[in-house]
Amino acid sequence: MSTESSVEKPPQRVAIKGASLRLGEGEEALEGSRCPDCGDTFYPPRTVCLSCYHEGLDRVTLSRRGTLHTFTIARMSLPGAFVKAPYVIAQVQLPEGVIIPTVLDDVDPDSVQIGMQLEMVVEKAKSDAEGNDVMAFKFRPLKGDAR
Amino acid sequence: MSSRVVVLGVGLHPFGRHPDKSIGEMARVAGLAALKDAGVEYKDVQAGFCAHVNQGVGAGLRTFGQLGMTGIPVTNIELACASSSRAAMLSADAIANGLYDIVMVIGVEKMQRGLLEGVGGKEFGYNDAMGINLMPAIYAMWAQRHMHVHGTKHEHFAKVSEKAHRNGALNPNAQYQKAISLEDVLASRMIADPITLYECSPTTDGASAVILASEAAARKHTNAPVFLDTWVGGTPEYHRGEADQAEGPNAVLAQRAYEAAGLGPEDVDVCQVHDAFSPGEVFLAEELGFCPEGEGGPFVWEGNTEIDGRIPINTDGGLLSRGHPIGATGGAMITELTTQLRGQAGQRQVPDAKTALLHNAGIGGVNVMVLKR
Repeated sequence: MSTESSVEKPPQRVAIKGASLRLGEGEEALEGSRCPDCGDTFYPPRTVCLSCYHEGLDRVTLSRRGTLHTFTIARMSLPGAFVKAPYVIAQVQLPEGVIIPTVLDDVDPDSVQIGMQLEMVVEKAKSDAEGNDVMAFKFRPLKGDAR
Repeated sequence: MSSRVVVLGVGLHPFGRHPDKSIGEMARVAGLAALKDAGVEYKDVQAGFCAHVNQGVGAGLRTFGQLGMTGIPVTNIELACASSSRAAMLSADAIANGLYDIVMVIGVEKMQRGLLEGVGGKEFGYNDAMGINLMPAIYAMWAQRHMHVHGTKHEHFAKVSEKAHRNGALNPNAQYQKAISLEDVLASRMIADPITLYECSPTTDGASAVILASEAAARKHTNAPVFLDTWVGGTPEYHRGEADQAEGPNAVLAQRAYEAAGLGPEDVDVCQVHDAFSPGEVFLAEELGFCPEGEGGPFVWEGNTEIDGRIPINTDGGLLSRGHPIGATGGAMITELTTQLRGQAGQRQVPDAKTALLHNAGIGGVNVMVLKR
């Protein structure tokens, strides 16, 4: 690749720091870890199993769908955050048994209810200093959910 | 040889907004008050712990150095909002095991107005960028869950703050010494549903000082010692399939403290709990065993935690009204309970209080203590 073409290349998509988010067309997903000994699953991924202390866990792809464990509507913004109030902070329970801290997207805050069905979405959060698209995940009400 | 540990002296710098005062000035006021209260001189203090969260390098010297320079070991302790109770625990460990006779804890903090920043550390990852590390939101999400599972009402939480401010009005060291109505609490600005502004502890400048002593050393200065009878500290416990606990296993630690102290929740006369946000007192009324699980809302609503109630909680206004200079809060809790057990709490005195329970929580740890006279 010449220097010239790399200058003109489209922005790369990179996952936001502090999230175990796998990017890739059509296969965006959160990655957790699963203990090969006892089967317990964790997010964010870790090295040592919290249930049986086995060291060296397997990477697993987590479900894109879950249910709302709990939430709040933030009415003031956290300094430095790019998500601005009002917004819904949520804990989403996945079928694997892990709970994911996140924010909700595409939702009327006043309609949010514990137990509602959600699905993960990946969106551009911001551009970084190199011009890359920094991608973050959120959850939104599952399309077709009666609610 | 194991010694019993006595709370020999306590002192505070009034909590509030003190932008023009250094941590050294506030520590000096609290420290001199505690020395006078204990009846000892600074040269009698054999070790010190300076509890703070964000006061930078050398805070121990900048605070203890105001009282004297006797060459004693001074160690800085950080456990978020539970820093100074953890420092008191370490002091008590040392005294109980015969390392020292007299140890001093200074807790101090100067804070900025507004939200507590840096809750997730300095990395600024996903949880910061997305606005998830919002302190009131942590309690708000516990509160939403409590409302969903147990039917708790927002009014139950708001009542905690109304009561806290009524108690704070009786405390000359409190940041807020003005009663507010339940309607005021409910109508104040929503921060993170269901928590309103008046259901959040404020940011605060202040200092606390506690002098702990072996029983033998204490008996030279007092005929009516208040004992730090039992202390247990912990960190979050993992339970498969449960949401992360940020602070620690409150109920487990309380049970351990009751067993070690040889008593139960029904024996507690006065209590301090960590009400960083109003739902805290509702949760802790349950977790500390004062009422059954799920009934904390009605328990508080019916007045059981009032000064003249079944189990008076946060008689000095708690974090909500006394204020919450994070590094100093545990020491202020010890100060209030010691004052109550001595019968020196004036208008907010719980009659004939003999046994006290303390619960102080921070991100990454919880401390539970039993004090007795």
